[in-house]
Amino acid sequence: MSVTRSLDELRQADAAAFGGKSSTLGELIAAGIPVPPGFAVSTTAFRSFVAEAGLEGMIAAELERMAPDDVDSVGAASHAISQAMRFAPVPDAVRDEVARRYAELGDDVPVAVRSSALGEDSQDATYAGQQETYLWVRGADHVCDAVRDCWVSLYSPPAMTYRARLGAGAGEPAMGVAVQLMVDAEVSGVMFTCNPVSGDPSMVAVNASWGLGLAVVGGEVTPDDYLVSKVTKEVVREHVHAKEVEYVPDAAGRGAVRVDVPEERRAVACLDSPALEALVDLAGRVERYFGSHQDVEWAIARGCELPASLTVVQSRPVTALPRRSDPPAATSAMALVMNAFGAGVPKER
Amino acid sequence: MAASSAVGSFPSPYEIETPPGCEGWEDLYPYYGRFDEERREADEQRFWFWNSMHFPVPMPAFDAICIDTAYQALGSWQNRVFAVPPAMGIDWRCINGYIYISGNPVLDPDKIAERAGWFQQRAGYYYANWNELYGKWRAKMEALIAELDALRVPELGEYEPDAVAFEDQETSYCAVLEAYRRALRLHDVMWQHHFEFLLLGYGAYMTFAELCKANLPDIPDQHIAQMVAGLDVLLFRPDAELRRLARLAIDSGVDSAFVEGRSPEEIETELAGSDAGRAWLAELEQVKEPWFHMATGDGLYHTYTSWLDDPRIPYASLIGHIGALKAGEDIERPSDHIAEERERLAVEYAALLDGEARKGFEELLALSRTVFPYVEEHKFYADYWFLTSWWNKIREFGDLLVAHGFLAERDDIFQLSRLEVYSALDELLLTWATGGQPRGPKYWPPIVARRQELLERLADWTPPPAVGAVPEAVLDPALIMLWGVTTQRVHAWARHQEGGSELTGTAASPGVVEGVARVVKTVGEIGDVREGEILVCSITSPAWAPIFSKITAAVTDIGGVMSHAAIVCREYALPAVVGTGRATSQIRTGQRIRVDGTAGTVAILE
Repeated sequence: MSVTRSLDELRQADAAAFGGKSSTLGELIAAGIPVPPGFAVSTTAFRSFVAEAGLEGMIAAELERMAPDDVDSVGAASHAISQAMRFAPVPDAVRDEVARRYAELGDDVPVAVRSSALGEDSQDATYAGQQETYLWVRGADHVCDAVRDCWVSLYSPPAMTYRARLGAGAGEPAMGVAVQLMVDAEVSGVMFTCNPVSGDPSMVAVNASWGLGLAVVGGEVTPDDYLVSKVTKEVVREHVHAKEVEYVPDAAGRGAVRVDVPEERRAVACLDSPALEALVDLAGRVERYFGSHQDVEWAIARGCELPASLTVVQSRPVTALPRRSDPPAATSAMALVMNAFGAGVPKER
Repeated sequence: MAASSAVGSFPSPYEIETPPGCEGWEDLYPYYGRFDEERREADEQRFWFWNSMHFPVPMPAFDAICIDTAYQALGSWQNRVFAVPPAMGIDWRCINGYIYISGNPVLDPDKIAERAGWFQQRAGYYYANWNELYGKWRAKMEALIAELDALRVPELGEYEPDAVAFEDQETSYCAVLEAYRRALRLHDVMWQHHFEFLLLGYGAYMTFAELCKANLPDIPDQHIAQMVAGLDVLLFRPDAELRRLARLAIDSGVDSAFVEGRSPEEIETELAGSDAGRAWLAELEQVKEPWFHMATGDGLYHTYTSWLDDPRIPYASLIGHIGALKAGEDIERPSDHIAEERERLAVEYAALLDGEARKGFEELLALSRTVFPYVEEHKFYADYWFLTSWWNKIREFGDLLVAHGFLAERDDIFQLSRLEVYSALDELLLTWATGGQPRGPKYWPPIVARRQELLERLADWTPPPAVGAVPEAVLDPALIMLWGVTTQRVHAWARHQEGGSELTGTAASPGVVEGVARVVKTVGEIGDVREGEILVCSITSPAWAPIFSKITAAVTDIGGVMSHAAIVCREYALPAVVGTGRATSQIRTGQRIRVDGTAGTVAILE
């Protein structure tokens, strides 16, 4: 039985089997959005891992014993389960399939290994940031280790607390994994297909910083901040900040490291107008495809030209938009004009 | 409007000193136009702003008629005809020759509701019948201008004409006074027409702008303006005619006459020497009526003459256009592109809205486009065509006073108030009739000389953008719609009272440009503008069109996104920041400045 699938074969309907992130990436590819190629590991692989290692009883017992409101109790349960999982072997069948898919991506190529939880990236609940991502992973064995680390992250204290709070609504926990070719990002960031602060649907709000996206997503830098009109592609607002750190591949090309941004590059705007235009164009395509406002993580690769250098690494619906300042409940254009003149509530002549 | 100290302050109008040597400036203006002690308690608590949009330089005594009549007319429509619910009319006061204005609010909720009933009925009628009423308006204005042209100022001869003796024609003293009264009356009627549609026109547009901002909070003002602005606007026609004449000059081989530095007379003399040149001059004559009735400034001063009076401006433009054509440049307005962009913006913004909001957007856009031709065109008829002709009519009364020794120059008449002119004419007619010795020839010339000197000195004084109390909020629709004076703007003025190296205003045309500033305070200085400079002025008028092909950006003291400078800058793709309140007083010619027409800021770099 196959427990992996090429990302481009996945659709939203596969979310139950592969998790939200992988299925969304499949949808993006179907929409013609540039996404780094890769494959997904199914939740079945996770379940067979737990079953073959005989961990089900142990996990159930730990959860039974855990007091969800007690930080120490959650921490102890998390530690016990994580340790047990970390020492359990990845099933051979899974290992072989992952190794074959990995080899298809290239020879010893660096990849990003990201968790793809069930229920993640849904409109109702945002699991964002609670599951792990491993960057710049090389070699089949390391990829398998990273897959297992993603599985382990399902039992991190925050994830456990979060599920406990959702109660039965959280469903049975299971974890898919997405493995994608690594983008050697010169610049990366996040964009919303509307202004999340004002709610303006005609704007794209872009945050960008040097290096890999970790620094922006993790809030470790104050990113450059742009507001760009979808209609004219004009930059309506622009704030360039001093970006002090960035994540880059380590010297050996295995794993990402946090380094100081050289002084002279910190206050330099990391996007120019062609890059912003490409981003706004991309935002429009993603929004139109999903039919709702999206929060898109993107990266611009080093050493190649726009627009080919621009890729999307994930997208999810914008969950909380501000209510726009009371759009007047007018019955007609004339009633609005009368309001403007303060003649909204007349006394009969 | 209560005072609020949290947002800065303005000087009290009673604490502003008269500049040295300008004592007695009050004599130029009516008794009610001063900050007097009798009304001090009330006036100090009110918010007054310098109306630099209409009155950028010290007011000559005669020209002050435009203040009174304009606010009589505005107040009549706003307060007595339409009864705009929360706001009556505008009061004015003068400080050192500069005009400050303040709105009269309606505060009683019952009164507001009562006025709303009148407003709904009357304004509703105008909106429902707009095109028909506006068609009639144009006919009324053209008839008024024809009546002005037909008005004759009688001469005073040794003996009355035979018609008085034999045909019962009225005597000249009656005829002169009647002509003067009719001239004043035509001016009253012009302002009556001028304000008939103005508030309603701006109101529809503002409502559309507010709907856009409620649903699209970050939409740039200029996109709203672009969706509404007319394509075939009357105000662009004069320059379009000049471009056509420029092409004709090249096609008929007479372009070599148009040499930079030559006067209009020199050019016309050369043209008159050939058949092709004479044909071109005949075509020019055709264009003059009415397109050369453009004013050289924004109209409300006698010094703003028309292109007919001062052909240097259209000729400078012709020389520029011919030069550009010969250099292979495209001098046409990109009107196809403007039309496409106007529609594209409207369609794409509408598509971003849903249900109710989209319906409101589409209806208000349609209404705004219906009313906007008036908003854009009334200036040509009223401010330019009528007023430049009217000042010339008043000059004919000046000629009469010169002929009888009361004045040295015809333009000296503008140093007398309209009532003083009446008085001088009265004395002239009395002594002409009686053969007695007039006092006027000794009485008026020293007054004229002193007032000319005063105006020159007052021109060097820099008025603060506002005086009196800082309002917590500006609620008067007229101030917001006609002057762009919003709460935000006023508070920014109050904060910047101490000055600073950055000015903020309305982002009127996008882009960022750095360059050398050229501060232009009067239209006479526009010839000083050099290629590549940034224009810094109080406000521009369409007659300034020739310099927009030279400059790289524009900054104005007052105006909103629909002001002339904003519209023209968008057409020429030049960055513009308008409504800074104090650009002409803070920036000096020669300074390097950076204009950010996207953010609405101007930085003084040195």
